[in-house]
Amino acid sequence: MKPGREPEPAHRVDAERLEFGGGLEVLLAAALERVAPGGVLEIRTPSRAVALELPSWARLAGHELISEAGEHKAQVLRIRRGDAARILAGPLPARGDRPVLRDGELHTGDLRDGVPPEPDPGAGFAPLRSVPEAGAPAYHWQLSRRDAVWADDVGELVEQASAQQWDASRDVPWEAARELDSSTEKAVAQVMTFLAQNEYAALYVPARFLPQINPQLVELVLWLSSHVHDEARHIEVFTKRSLIGGQRGFALAATELSLHTLLDEHDFTSSSLLLNVLGEGTFLDLLRFIELHAPDAATATSARLAHRDERRHVHFGISNIKRATSLDPDLTPTLVRAAEARAAKLTSLSGLSPLLVEALTIMAAPSLQPAELAEAAADVRDLMATMESNRLRRLRACGFSAAMAQHLSDLHTPNLM
Amino acid sequence: MSGAELRLGAVSYHPRVVTIWERFRTYFADAGVPTDYVLFSNYERLVDAVLDGTVDIGWNTNTAYVVLDHRAGGGTRILGMRDVDLDWATVLVMRKGESFEDPTELDGRVLALGSRDSGHAAILPLHYLAAEGLDALERCRLLRFDTDLGKHGDTGDSELHVVRAVAAGEADAGAISAAYFSAFRAGGVPEVADLEIVWRSPPYYHCNFTVLDSMDTEVSDRWSQALLAMDYDDPSLRPAMELEGVRRWHPGDRDGYASLTEAMRELAMLT
Repeated sequence: MKPGREPEPAHRVDAERLEFGGGLEVLLAAALERVAPGGVLEIRTPSRAVALELPSWARLAGHELISEAGEHKAQVLRIRRGDAARILAGPLPARGDRPVLRDGELHTGDLRDGVPPEPDPGAGFAPLRSVPEAGAPAYHWQLSRRDAVWADDVGELVEQASAQQWDASRDVPWEAARELDSSTEKAVAQVMTFLAQNEYAALYVPARFLPQINPQLVELVLWLSSHVHDEARHIEVFTKRSLIGGQRGFALAATELSLHTLLDEHDFTSSSLLLNVLGEGTFLDLLRFIELHAPDAATATSARLAHRDERRHVHFGISNIKRATSLDPDLTPTLVRAAEARAAKLTSLSGLSPLLVEALTIMAAPSLQPAELAEAAADVRDLMATMESNRLRRLRACGFSAAMAQHLSDLHTPNLM
Repeated sequence: MSGAELRLGAVSYHPRVVTIWERFRTYFADAGVPTDYVLFSNYERLVDAVLDGTVDIGWNTNTAYVVLDHRAGGGTRILGMRDVDLDWATVLVMRKGESFEDPTELDGRVLALGSRDSGHAAILPLHYLAAEGLDALERCRLLRFDTDLGKHGDTGDSELHVVRAVAAGEADAGAISAAYFSAFRAGGVPEVADLEIVWRSPPYYHCNFTVLDSMDTEVSDRWSQALLAMDYDDPSLRPAMELEGVRRWHPGDRDGYASLTEAMRELAMLT
C-alpha cells in the first residue's frame, strides 16, 4: 500500500502491555468485530515482539497487514479485515426476550412458550435458540416429529424430576431392615428382586429412545434422561433392599418373558402406553401397597421414593398419548394393535406368579398365623382389584373410550409390567 | 484437450492431503476441469514427474518450484497460490527477556534451524541473516533438525523441534516460519508461551501450482480460473480449504522467489 492511499482506520485499539498468548488475540477479535470486511483496524503496541508477530497472526486469522509505522516502544500497525465469514451463519439476532423467573428460579417449562416448532430433522446438537453454523454433518433423528413425542407438561415434569432427586445410599434407613425373621425377609427379598428385575426394563426402554430424539426437542431429551436416571436409582434401591437382609430372591422367567416383549416395541407412543401408562401405572399401586404393608422402614421408604418418581412417568405417558391421539385419531388403533401384539406373545402367562403372590402375602402379614395370613391375602386380592380399577381410570384419562380402556386393561400383562 | 483429465502432483506430507485432494478433485470436476491427483512422498520426485510429464501440474513448495524452474530453464508458469503464500516470512524466536536489537548479536551463539531443504526454516534464514551482516554458517553453532527431508518443511515437524530446543535452552535462537509460529501458538504448543519473535525477514513467496510452458494456455487458464473461484464461504469447501490453510487463491507470479533462488545458488543447490 502506497503512502497516502491507505484508508482511514475504522477503529483503533491500544494493546498496551497485552501480548500474544496473553489476551491480545481476544482484544483484537473484539476490535475486529467493530470493523466491516475490508475495513482497517489500527493497533498500537509498545512491544516489538507483538509488532513482529502481528502479521502472521493476522494472516492466520484471515486478515492482512497493510502497514507498519512508529518507532521503538510505540509501534502502529494497520490490518485490513478479511472478507471471509468467521462463522458460516447469519449474524446473531439482537439481544431479545429473556425467560421469566419464578421467585428467582428458572424453570425448564419457561424456556419457551407452548409447543416447540417442528424441528429440522437433520439438525445437530444446537442448543435451544442457538444459531447453527452451516457445514455441520447432517443427522437423521428417528424421533424428530414433534407430535409423536411431545407432552404439554413435559417442561414441568422435568422440573419435578430435578427437584425430587434422592439418594438410594443415604435417604433410606437401611439399619431398619437388618433384623427381620427369615420367613419375612425371604418374602421381602423376593418382592424386591421382582421390582428390580422390572425396573431394568423401565430403564432400557427410555434409554433406547433417548439417542433417537431430535436434540431440538430439548425438554424431551431432559425428560428421558431423568426417566433413565430415576430407573437406575430404582434398580439400585430395590437391589440393595433385596440384599440387605442376606437373603436371595428368584429372577422369574415369566417376568423375563413379559419384559422381553416390552423391548420388542419400537414405537415411542406405543411404548408410552405399554410401559408408562400400563406398566408403571400398575406399579404405582404395587409400590403403594408395599409402602403400606412393609415390615420395615427401609422397604417402606424405598417403595415410597420410587412411587414418587413413577407418578411422573405415568403422568408423562398419559399426557403424551392424550395429545398424540387427539391430534391423530388414527393412532388409537395402532396403540391397540401394539397392546394386542404384546398380549399375543404372553399367552403362556396365566397370572401373576404364585411365588410373588405368596411373597406379597407373607410380607403383608405380621406372622404366619392363619388369621393374619387371611387378612393379608385379602389385602393382596384388594390390590389386584385396585390395580384394575386404577388402570381403567388412567386409560380413560388417555382419552380411550370405556370399552377400549377395558379391552386394553384386559390385554395387560399378568406380570404387572 | 477439453474434457480430458488433468493430473496434479502433490506431496503427502500428512494424511490430510488425501482429504484435501479428494474434495478438490470433486470441485474441479464440477467446475469443468476434471483433475485427478497423484501423491508423491517427496518434492524431488514430484519435480521429476512434472518435468517428464507424469503430472501436468505440480503443487510445489517454494524450494521445489525454484528447482523445477531452474531445471526447466525458466520454462514454467505459475497457475496460482494461497493467500498465505504471498507474504510468507521467516522469524527468529528466542526465550522471552533474552531478545536482541540486532541479529549480529547471535555471533558465537547457538542457532537452531529446521530441515535443511526447508526454504523458510533453513535456507532463507541463512540468506537473510547474511544480508543483516551475520554469516551464521561460519559464526554460529548450528543446531539442525533435519526431520522429514524431502518434504521441504511442510510437516512443521522440524520447526516444532526448533521451538522446543530454544525453549529448553539448547539453542539461543531458532529460525522458523512466522506462519508456523502463529499456528503453534494458536494450537496451544506449550513451549511457545516462553518465546517471542525477535526478528522477521522480508516477505517472500511460499507454495505455488506450477506447469511447464508447454501446457496449453487455454487449459491452464481454465484451471486457474476454477482455482481462483473456490469459495471459502462454501460450507462444503471450507473444511478442505482450512486443512490446506487457504482462504482465497491468488494468481501468483514469480516476484517473491528471487531471494530463495539467490539463496539456493549461494548454497549450490541449483546445479
